[in-house]
Amino acid sequence: MRALEPWVEAPLATFLAESSARLTLLMTSAGQVVAQHGFTRAFDVMSAAALGAAIMASTDELARLMEVPAFHALSHQGAHYGLFLSGFDTPRGRWIGLVVFGPESSLGLVQLFFQRMVADLVTVAPGPEPTGQVLGEDFEDELNASLRTLFGQ
Amino acid sequence: MSLVNFTAREITCKIVYYGPGRSGKTSNLQYIYSRVPEGRRGRMVSLATKGDRTLFFDFLPLELGTISGFATRFQLYTVPGQVYYNATRKLVLQGADGVVFVADSQARRFDDNLESLQNLQENLLGHGVDIRDLPIVYQYNKQDLPSDLILSPGELDDALNFRGVKSYGADCLSGNGVFETLRGISELVLKRLAAGSPVA
Amino acid sequence: MQDLAVALESITRVHGVRGAMVVSVSDGLVVAESLMEDIDGAPIAALTASLATRLRRTTEAAGRRQPTFLHLRADTGTVLAVPSSGDLLVVAIGEQDVNVGLARLEMLHLAERGI
Ligand SMILES: Nc1nc2c(ncn2[C@@H]2O[C@H](COP(=O)(O)OP(=O)(O)OP(=O)(O)O)[C@@H](O)[C@H]2O)c(=O)[nH]1
Ligand SMILES: [Mg+2]
Repeated sequence: MRALEPWVEAPLATFLAESSARLTLLMTSAGQVVAQHGFTRAFDVMSAAALGAAIMASTDELARLMEVPAFHALSHQGAHYGLFLSGFDTPRGRWIGLVVFGPESSLGLVQLFFQRMVADLVTVAPGPEPTGQVLGEDFEDELNASLRTLFGQ
Repeated sequence: MSLVNFTAREITCKIVYYGPGRSGKTSNLQYIYSRVPEGRRGRMVSLATKGDRTLFFDFLPLELGTISGFATRFQLYTVPGQVYYNATRKLVLQGADGVVFVADSQARRFDDNLESLQNLQENLLGHGVDIRDLPIVYQYNKQDLPSDLILSPGELDDALNFRGVKSYGADCLSGNGVFETLRGISELVLKRLAAGSPVA
Repeated sequence: MQDLAVALESITRVHGVRGAMVVSVSDGLVVAESLMEDIDGAPIAALTASLATRLRRTTEAAGRRQPTFLHLRADTGTVLAVPSSGDLLVVAIGEQDVNVGLARLEMLHLAERGI
C-alpha cells in the first residue's frame, strides 16, 4: 500500500484487511492518484486512475443528461473479478475509489467496508492543503536537462 | 490543478492537447511515446474508434525526473476533436494544468481551428476557469504539407493568436516542433508552480 | 419477488425472529428481505455471505461436504443461516429466546422449495 498523505493510510489499511480487495486506488476526480494498493508499476496506476476517473465522470454526466440524481457507485462483474467504482466528498475535494476484487471477497463486502472507509477518511482528513511556493526559481535548468534526457537530445 | 505532495516530494501535472478533429493531437502523443526511453514513460492508453478517431481520450504518463527536489510527472491527455464529442471533451479538460492547442495549418481547416478555440474557452468556463488564467501554448501542425495548402505560422498567429501566447510550427509525422511544444507548455506550467499559485 | 416476500414472512412469524433475508452468496447482496426497522440488512448480508463461503470451505476440507445449517449465538441474540441450492442463502436474525427449531424448519422449507 502506498498513500501520498499519511492520514489516508489507516482507513485504507482497514478497508484492505476487511474487504480482501485485490487492487485499490483512490484518486481525485481529475484522475490524480492519492493512494494505491496492489499495483506493481507506477505507470499502470496512473493509467488506471485516468480511466477510472473517466468512467466516473461520464457516469455523472449521463445522470445530468437524463436528469436523475448522480449515481453513487457502479460495479462491473467479470467471470472471476469484480470492479467497484464510487465517488465521495472529502475535505480535500471529491475523490474516487476504484476496487478490484476476486472470489474471496464480494460486492457486498466491498461496498460495506468502502462506506466505512469513506466515513473514516472524512473524519480524519485535515482541511485543504495550504498553498505556497513549490519550485525554486532555478527550476528551468533542471527542466531543460530533464527534457533533454527524455528526448535523448 | 497540479497535485503536489510535500511529504513524498512529488508533483503531478495534467496537460491536455486540444484542437479540432484530425489536427494531430493523437500524433503528438504517439511521437512523444516513440521517442521517450521506456523507463520514463508508461503505456499509452488510447480510447479510439476503429478508424483511429479519438473517442474519449489518449493518455500518456511521463516521468520528467527530479526538479527542484520534486519527482515530477506529467500526464498528457488528448481530447476527441470531432464536434459531436463535446461532452467527453469537456470531461477530459477538467483539472488541466496546461493546454496545448493543436491547430491544423491547412487553409481549408481554418474555420475549424477558430471554432475549436471558442469551444475550448467555453468548456473551460464551464469548469470555472478563465482561459487567460491557464498556461496555454499553440502548435501549428502539418507544416510539412505543400505551402499552397497551408498557412504559415506567422499568418496563423495573426489570425488565431490574439493573446500572443507562445506558438510553435510543427509536423508530427517527422516530429518537428513536437518536443519544443512540450517544453514550452512544461515551462509555463512549472513556472506557475514556482510563482506559488494555489495547488491541490 | 412478491412470492419471496410472502415466504420470508413465514420465517418472521416464528417467535423471536426479528428479520429474515435471502442473500446472494457470491456478491454478498440482499436479494429479498423482511426486517424490523432497526435492522440494517446490507452489512449482515455481506458478512454472513462471506462467513458461509468460509465455512463451506471448512466443511469441504474436512470431507464433510456443505454446511446445512449455521447457528451463531451472540450475547443478545442469534443469527441463523441455511444455504440453498445455487448461490443463495436464507438468513434469519433472532432474539435470544428465538424458537430455533421452528425457525430452522421454515428456513429449510424456503431453501428446499428452490428460491
Ligand atoms: N501531413 C501531416 N499529417 C499529419 C500530421 N499530424 C497528423 N497527421 C495526420 O492527420 C491525421 C489525424 O491525426 P490524429 O493525430 O489522429 O488527429 P487527432 O487530432 O487526434 O484527431 P481526433 O482524434 O479525431 O481529434 C492522421 O492521418 C495523421 O497521420 C502532420 O504534421 N503532417
Ligand atoms: Mg485523436
